[in-house]
Amino acid sequence: MEMTTAPTETVDGSKTLVRGNVLEKTYGSRLPLGRSTPVLTGADIEVRAGEIVGIVGENGSGKSTLMKILVGVLDHDAGTVERYGTVGWCPQEPLLYDRLTVSETFRLFGAGYGMSREEIDAAKQRLADELDFEQYLDYRVDQLSGGNRQKVNLSIALMHDPDVLMLDEPYTGFDWETYLRFWDMAQDLADDGTAVVMISHLIEERSRLDRVFEVRNGLVHDVTDDETESELRSDREGDDE
Amino acid sequence: MNRFAVGIRSNVRTFLRTPLNVVLALVLPLVVIEGWGQAMAGLPPMPTIEAIPLDLGRVLGAIFGVAIIAGLMGLVQMISAREADRRLVQTGYSPRTLLATRLATLAGVTIVVAGVNFGVLWLTVEPEAPLLVFAFLALAGVVYAFLGALVGAVLPRLFEGSLVVVFLAMMDAFLSGDSPLAADVPDFVQYFPLYHPKELLQSAVFDGTFAAGDLAFVGGYVLVLLVLVTAVFGATMRTSGGWSA
Repeated sequence: MEMTTAPTETVDGSKTLVRGNVLEKTYGSRLPLGRSTPVLTGADIEVRAGEIVGIVGENGSGKSTLMKILVGVLDHDAGTVERYGTVGWCPQEPLLYDRLTVSETFRLFGAGYGMSREEIDAAKQRLADELDFEQYLDYRVDQLSGGNRQKVNLSIALMHDPDVLMLDEPYTGFDWETYLRFWDMAQDLADDGTAVVMISHLIEERSRLDRVFEVRNGLVHDVTDDETESELRSDREGDDE
Repeated sequence: MNRFAVGIRSNVRTFLRTPLNVVLALVLPLVVIEGWGQAMAGLPPMPTIEAIPLDLGRVLGAIFGVAIIAGLMGLVQMISAREADRRLVQTGYSPRTLLATRLATLAGVTIVVAGVNFGVLWLTVEPEAPLLVFAFLALAGVVYAFLGALVGAVLPRLFEGSLVVVFLAMMDAFLSGDSPLAADVPDFVQYFPLYHPKELLQSAVFDGTFAAGDLAFVGGYVLVLLVLVTAVFGATMRTSGGWSA
């Protein structure tokens, strides 16, 4: 079930912009003897305005699945998703049209967002300047390096100033300078009230995140107060012994 | 910005920046039309048709050439950027608008391809009713373009989808044609996509006429394909997105 609602206020006064309740998702096979893989078995998550939330977990734990469900590009089997505001989604792999130039890509996706030509041009110039790909605006996407393609991929998610930003490992291929600039941008957006949700694998990023959720065994656990994933894992292994 | 106009422009640019598409559209007609003609040139004349086998072969080659190029382009349009399409839908494009831009581009490209085929046919056969010939070639192309789009929406794999389109077009052109090699074909062949377009084209080339029943049948065929491809594309692009502003 899918809903768009007015944002709800939390105890500390911040608005909840995205809420997933008891989400379930199983990838099935259409073949009679195919294997079906349950990924989410009752995941709950809530994201508030102005915070940077990290989603962590082992490979195949269901992080991207959870994000796609929250974005709305993947159907879920059970549970509800409530959203408020506009959403920008940066998928893990750049989902762009290879034979369009960067400028044409902005125009196409900008039209999708309902932006005017002036708004699109302004967003393009701002993001190209911030992420340093101005000189590639007339290049076709398939002629860009992996890092520059990823910059365009991220920019498409940002160009309409969304209320909620969903990022699936958005810095893959970035050089160190761009990586730092990206974090500055994320922090600025959060300061302006944008909810930033990010799938992350890097432990050193945890200090930049307001809250951290770990997807484990089909559920979402708030591990903000735990120090590192490896520590969590060793704790769990200790519990099992 | 107007989503439909931007979508069309993007599709046309994508098409023109794929050199193989352009080469296929321009070169294949000549090869197929003359190849098919020469392949049939050695056959004995058919008792029911006055046209010489060489010209009949060229006509069949022309309709096959339009069909196979349009069909493959329809297929590629649907599957080359399926995931990016999904993202585009997430930004706000409705699947219907996106599909409309694709089909409109396909129709435009098909008309160009039909024009090239018509040009080759004009030079080699000298049809009785040139405008009708061009229109019926374009119609045959539209049928296959939509059919290719349908195959691409149902079977989103380039290799497998291409096999389906190529095999179908070859079988269709061969069985629907009046080749003595395909004599006594079963009745269901008249429901094949090229059967009625071929009847229309053949009449226009050799007699300068056409049967309204054939035209109505092809029109119905296009409509059914349009409904099917819209339904399948809509289902594959369905997201649970949609945001409150």
